Amino acid sequence: MDLSRYADLFLTESREHLSAMNHLLLALERAPRATEPVAELFRAVHTVKGMSATMGYGAVTTLAHEMESLLDRVRQGEREVSADMMELLFQGADALERAIARAVAGEPDPAESVTVAAALRDFAAAAPARKAARRSKAAPKAPRVRATAPRAKRPAVRGTLLKVRLKEGVVLKGARAFLVVKRAEAVGEVLAVEPSVEALQKEEFDRDFGIRISTRSSADKVAEVLRASGDVESVTIEGAPVAPAMSAAAAPVPDAPAAPTRHVRIDLRRLDALMNLVGELVIARGQLQQLAGASADPALEETVTQGARLIGEMQDEIMRCRMVPVAQIFDRFPRLVRDAARDAGKQVEFVAEGQESELDRSMLDEIGDPVMHLLRNAIDHGIETPADRTAAGKPAAGRVTLSISRERSAATIRVSDDGRGVDRDRVMTKARSLGLIDAAVTAITDEQLIKFISRPGFSTAARVTNLSGRGVGIDVVATRVRSLGGSLEIRTVTGKGTTVTARLPLTLAIVRAMLARVADETYAVPMTHVTETVELSAAQVRTVQGREALLLRDDVLPLVRLREKVTLGASSAPMQQVVVMEVGERRAALVVDELAGQQDIVVKQFDPVRGGLPLFSGATILADGAPALILDVGSLL
Amino acid sequence: MSHTVLVCDDAIFMRTMISDILQQSGFEVVGEAETGVEAVAQYKKLRPDLVTMDIVMPEMGGIDAVREITKFDPSARVLMCSAMGQQALVVEAIQAGAKDFVVKPFQPSRVLEAVQRVLG
Repeated sequence: MDLSRYADLFLTESREHLSAMNHLLLALERAPRATEPVAELFRAVHTVKGMSATMGYGAVTTLAHEMESLLDRVRQGEREVSADMMELLFQGADALERAIARAVAGEPDPAESVTVAAALRDFAAAAPARKAARRSKAAPKAPRVRATAPRAKRPAVRGTLLKVRLKEGVVLKGARAFLVVKRAEAVGEVLAVEPSVEALQKEEFDRDFGIRISTRSSADKVAEVLRASGDVESVTIEGAPVAPAMSAAAAPVPDAPAAPTRHVRIDLRRLDALMNLVGELVIARGQLQQLAGASADPALEETVTQGARLIGEMQDEIMRCRMVPVAQIFDRFPRLVRDAARDAGKQVEFVAEGQESELDRSMLDEIGDPVMHLLRNAIDHGIETPADRTAAGKPAAGRVTLSISRERSAATIRVSDDGRGVDRDRVMTKARSLGLIDAAVTAITDEQLIKFISRPGFSTAARVTNLSGRGVGIDVVATRVRSLGGSLEIRTVTGKGTTVTARLPLTLAIVRAMLARVADETYAVPMTHVTETVELSAAQVRTVQGREALLLRDDVLPLVRLREKVTLGASSAPMQQVVVMEVGERRAALVVDELAGQQDIVVKQFDPVRGGLPLFSGATILADGAPALILDVGSLL
Repeated sequence: MSHTVLVCDDAIFMRTMISDILQQSGFEVVGEAETGVEAVAQYKKLRPDLVTMDIVMPEMGGIDAVREITKFDPSARVLMCSAMGQQALVVEAIQAGAKDFVVKPFQPSRVLEAVQRVLG
């Protein structure tokens, strides 16, 4: 059987179970005597074991089996949950996750699979098990077997003796033998079974056993029935050999209609392909609309308008198909917070809000890592040690909150902690040493703060930890969020805590953009960052602190000339336009030659170029077929 | 008329695979259940010719489900799907009324053989 087509399904479902396992382990850690998490953990591991065995993933099966065995002992009340056991189970869950990933990818099994499986096995074997308890629970129905199938204690002189031989290598041969006995009971009175039914169940036999039966049917008939019960090699009547059992191979019933289904599973790649096609359609729509507009043919224009509307609806519908609950990604964070807090020697209470929100899958895939970094930062740098917190009059356990909410055209992800807040003095010291601020500056705003700490390599962390100290700081998060077309904000109060807010577009695939022209080039400015456009008048331009600024009503906005940024000469255009851009609470005025309207553009992301292209976040093909660069608004501010 | 089947397993993976195996051989999978409770309810509603039943499921395990189903319909044909090492549970399921069993990992031919035995 071709198993490869089940691999995706296996992976998806295993991930769900792994996620559930992590939650259950956390629950068990909080309440080590609770029985429900143990039972559910057992079930989850058991399911993974069954699936991986079917797929032929040996390492996964072995790991799952050892976890299952240990959990079974806890379930049977033979073992108590200890801190060591929890650690081992967590390790087991992690090893399982990695082994699954490797197995599905067709890579060799990780070495840790073996060591963790061995550790689990040793741990399960270490403490003496109370055997009596296990027995009574493992086979609670044993007495009933005796009642239905009497043992050979009674003198068995009557009836016919049927000698049954099972096939070589039968799995669960005890149960198989028991099934043969049950079949015999259906056609006559079973007087004796040799060895005893209990012995059969415990597999205390090789392949042969005997059934003495009293029946009105002929012995041949009974033998026939027994032979048909599966995995039986032969049945012999009182020494007379009977022909080997015919294989009861299934005769397929042809021409059956396919079963009705209420829903279908769709490969995500199909959905992505569909999204790409719709993206291209959106571009074609723009081209059509331009052509129709130029044709001055009312009938054509009307048809195109209708087609355009339908394409829009189709786009919405496909976008909706791609929406997935954020819980899918956020599920792993409770575990992550727990591990991070442990490693940092801190107590953390984790609150997750808005898990039921839905986001486009492309976005969801991208935000997992930034959110993880923010959480690690909060635990590592925000939350104080229990001693420090108590000394500061705070509860010993800190609180980290992750919340996500979706507005009409943006998603907001917020990570807040009630820790010590960002150390402004240290940031200022560092900023001074890097020449970012004047020596005389004694206070910085939150906007300056995030600008500084978002700089690559700017970190106030003195020590390197397992977590956020690996060069993964707020700068990495800021860069990532900005490349996704989003913005990052920080609010921090010394001694009270820090809140980092990321605002992101709902999808990465298609964005609405303002088209701006400079010389012969067209650039796209994502509309999420455009607040308004105005004509540039010389009277509004001032020089503030040696830099050009635009006076717009009561605001003074830094002026950015796109011509200079793209190193073109001064404009000869009589009239220039201004695009007012906004990222978070920072604004700037972008001067361009002319505006060319709004358009939906399909974003083609650049592969990150080391140190290059700081101005652009991607490229697109416009409605007229011309390529255009997409401005990275964040880097312009 | 092809035989109708109710597939009970808490893993979609397993349900899909069993359904595929059976459908490819002309069986009609009329329902799926992921808990024991669902299995019993679906059985009463659909009255399938055959039930494949996982042993370990949430909300009433497979064995109790077999017991309930057999109580409702003594002629019900239930095929247990077991993992290795579940001997005692399989025996218990057979006592509860299951007609046969297959052991994971499944081989299609083994599943179909067992199905034929149960239906035959």
